[in-house]
Amino acid sequence: MARTAKGIEVEGTVITCLRDATFTVELENGHEVLAHISGKIRRNHIRILPYDRVLVELSPYDLTRGRILFRYRT
Amino acid sequence: MHEIVIARVAERQWHAVEDDRVVGRGDTSHRPDGRIFLSIDAWHDAVFDRLADAMLADLPRPLYTVVDEPDVDLTSCWQRAGFTTRRREWEYVLPTDPRVTGLGSVLSPEGVTTVPVGAAREDPLREVYDAIRAEVDATVGWESMPVEVPVRPDGTPLPLDPSKYAVAVQADRYVGLVRVTGRVALQPRIGLLAVRSDQRRRGIARSLLAHVLGALHHSGVETASAEVNESNEAAMALFEGIGARRVNSNLELVLR
Repeated sequence: MARTAKGIEVEGTVITCLRDATFTVELENGHEVLAHISGKIRRNHIRILPYDRVLVELSPYDLTRGRILFRYRT
Repeated sequence: MHEIVIARVAERQWHAVEDDRVVGRGDTSHRPDGRIFLSIDAWHDAVFDRLADAMLADLPRPLYTVVDEPDVDLTSCWQRAGFTTRRREWEYVLPTDPRVTGLGSVLSPEGVTTVPVGAAREDPLREVYDAIRAEVDATVGWESMPVEVPVRPDGTPLPLDPSKYAVAVQADRYVGLVRVTGRVALQPRIGLLAVRSDQRRRGIARSLLAHVLGALHHSGVETASAEVNESNEAAMALFEGIGARRVNSNLELVLR
């Protein structure tokens, strides 16, 4: 887990894709968060699927919520 | 929430900072057709609104953005900033199994053969691609197409990669093409399916689709994805006729 000026960034694995453009992501520490995708990912039509490895920024206000910043190549 | 400070930190990037921590980001990208697309990521609506105000004050209109239609919270944020819906794009999941699609018995139109993915020659591929692109430019325009046209920073087109295309050929002339992209082994994407205007309504697109979906099924891939502008009734009818399911929709929003 890295805490930067941008926020808390952590890698995880997408578990489920929900209907309202959100995803459950299991983090490296075993916690699950509910994550939206970042605007850049949406704008570039990058598809997020179950089992994708992703980089998630956690909300500083609620550590159960996050935003998917990056999808790693598989 | 403490005081939020908005700063333009680069030509195309804005930050919302609270207690020396970035709690929101906005950025822009410029499409080859000249349009400017925005995105804003914020944890609170109030931060989104502050970023939107700052960006809209700095940028020329019209401005565009893309949202997932089911994401009503984000859509509401953009609507508060004055954006309205310009068009909708449906995301489809296409089965590949010929027993489901009914494409197993589809034959190419008379005189037309299909060159499989990876076997097209680059020069005629470029020629048919450019011809189709010019036809789209002259009619609906690429800005109504789901997929951005990739170009170099100087505006010149990128080389076409034959490993991503299957083409339909008639009398040694390429008359149609289909592009298969994405993570092909996981869920490939039908990125472009197009036929020259003088060759349409002959079943060429259907036979190209039958070919690529059949090949994917043969290699063990069960589904593919595609996006279609909702005004493109012919494409929607083609996909829905083979059992494709709508799984999501995107909205392109504009502020004029």
